[in-house]
Amino acid sequence: MKENSEEILSLDSLSIGYYSGKTENVLLPPLSAKANSGELIAVIGRNGIGKSTLLRTLAGLQQPLGGEIYYNKRNLINYSRMQLAKEVGYISTEIIKVSNMRVYELVALGRFPHTNWIGKIEFNDHKAIMDALEKTSMGSFCDKFVSELSDGERQKVMIARILAQDTGLMLMDEPTAFLDVAGRYEVLHLMRKLSGESQKTIIFSTHDLQMAISQSDKIWLVLDNRLFEGAPEDLMLEGAFNHLFNSSTVIFNSGDGTFSFRNESRGNIFVEGEGNKKYWTESAINRAGFTVSEVKTFPYVTTPSESNNYWRLSTHTGMLEFSTIYEMISYLGKK
Amino acid sequence: MIILVILLILDIFFGSVSISASEVIRAIFTHTNSSFETIIMRFRLPKALTALTVGVALSLSGLQMQTIFRNPMAGPYVLGISSGASLGVAFVILGFSSGINGDSINALGNWILVVASWAGAGAIMILIMIISSKVKDIMTLLIIGIMLSSGIGAVVTILQYFSNETMLKAYVIWTMGSLGNLTEGQLTILLISVSAGVIMSILSTKILNALLLGENYARSIGLNVRFARGAIFSCTSILAGSVTAFCGPIGFIGIAVPHIVRIIFKTSDHRLLIPGTILMGGAVMLISDIISQLPGSENVLPINAVTSLIGIPVVIWVILRNRKFSGSF
Repeated sequence: MKENSEEILSLDSLSIGYYSGKTENVLLPPLSAKANSGELIAVIGRNGIGKSTLLRTLAGLQQPLGGEIYYNKRNLINYSRMQLAKEVGYISTEIIKVSNMRVYELVALGRFPHTNWIGKIEFNDHKAIMDALEKTSMGSFCDKFVSELSDGERQKVMIARILAQDTGLMLMDEPTAFLDVAGRYEVLHLMRKLSGESQKTIIFSTHDLQMAISQSDKIWLVLDNRLFEGAPEDLMLEGAFNHLFNSSTVIFNSGDGTFSFRNESRGNIFVEGEGNKKYWTESAINRAGFTVSEVKTFPYVTTPSESNNYWRLSTHTGMLEFSTIYEMISYLGKK
Repeated sequence: MIILVILLILDIFFGSVSISASEVIRAIFTHTNSSFETIIMRFRLPKALTALTVGVALSLSGLQMQTIFRNPMAGPYVLGISSGASLGVAFVILGFSSGINGDSINALGNWILVVASWAGAGAIMILIMIISSKVKDIMTLLIIGIMLSSGIGAVVTILQYFSNETMLKAYVIWTMGSLGNLTEGQLTILLISVSAGVIMSILSTKILNALLLGENYARSIGLNVRFARGAIFSCTSILAGSVTAFCGPIGFIGIAVPHIVRIIFKTSDHRLLIPGTILMGGAVMLISDIISQLPGSENVLPINAVTSLIGIPVVIWVILRNRKFSGSF
């Protein structure tokens, strides 16, 4: 556990959902969970299970149907909206489209709970805004229009906005959803840095399981009937993730946190070789629908080595040579 | 600010009787008892003041509506708020106060007129808000606004059908829109209500800035959205309603001026937009009034025609620009 880490949020048998007319639609059963300061927490769950509703409820945008939420050991219902805005920042998946709005102005709106009646930016507000822009490395974008930013830049500016809001807890609904791979890692790296250096607690929902497992301190795994809470590795060892993939086509490998498709195996192939070449050859053979066998029997593949430039496929009947994996897989595919 | 004062004086200067500049200045600041003074103090100054007030009020209400609906096409005229106000007025003129005509409405009658107008404007505001929470598309909302205006027009026609000749005449004259027909009492009421609206607008600066982000974000940074909406709705209804009550529905100023201000200031911060809109709204309306006098001739154009000719190109420009950055305002 980190030093000075103290409980910032706790959910006590919280049930969430929405009202349609007078009937309650409970999305999730009573949930209990905790978050300490400086933690990066990933909320994982299938589409439509209520991750967004959970985050909205935590942000105070939606009434819980039952149970309690405590911020700093004080019940959410005892906070005024203004007080809550000083504790919790929120980013939804909604994209802000305002022409003529500059990056500085958007980040300055994060100071809303701190400024006077007309929203005057005092020196310390300006400092907080510039600080937030520096931390998200968006300082040079100050005078740009928000509508001119790329998806990744806009997301970083949104994060700068809740940094300027100066809250201990940040809630982010799929912060990496629209981003390309580079943007995704940049934003995640930023979140990682903020939780570590600035002791911000960040709770974010994501569909990128591998990223969540490798980067977050804790995972809230939301299932139909319960919430698993713990370090990604703990959940891995408990086999909790298997509940996510009860489908017949996808297998979660709790050994390395990867997925594979549950195909009917077309046969066993052994791969002889070392290092990268062995790894990627095996991966290709898996994709082609074969199982990589542990013992050397026919058929087997020998990867290229110093004395040999070809992938050699040896079977009972003879040996074939391929100069690329692609050629070999094409041949195997036709068989 | 200075430009505004110059425009105000220019507006007083031009009219169907040509009066020299020195006469204008002398009439405003001294008592000469000349016929020029009568024309200036009794007709032109009130008219110029009305133009200024109307411009400020309509532009501010347009700015507020564009922000609260997050829609560049919002404005008191296009979304039917002015029509709502005219429905209120129609009820008063055609429905209840039989036997009065446009010239002889007393002070109490004026207040009834203006309150009816506020109520009509407010009712349509709420209706549009309910619709816009279901319909996100800008153009759809615009079409619904046009439909609402036509629907209200139909109701007014029915009212006209059942009313007598005097009342009908008073109402028709009112719908033509005019800056010059206000009595001293009416001008006072207009000035008081619009001043109240302007003060409320300035007080709501921060709220409007927060609402730029949309309801959820506004709430997450600490805004009480229900209160904010109520405040801005009443403010807009007062501004647009008061103007419509006395000057008739005046089109396209409310939608166009905020866009002109945004182009000039290149910002979305209402701390600049509100003062900018107040100044620009007043200026545009004074220019419109000057143009409607047709300087040098004895004819006067209807003010509505002039504002439409100024406003419509801006609206078309905004629509075309919006196709590029869809959805932004």
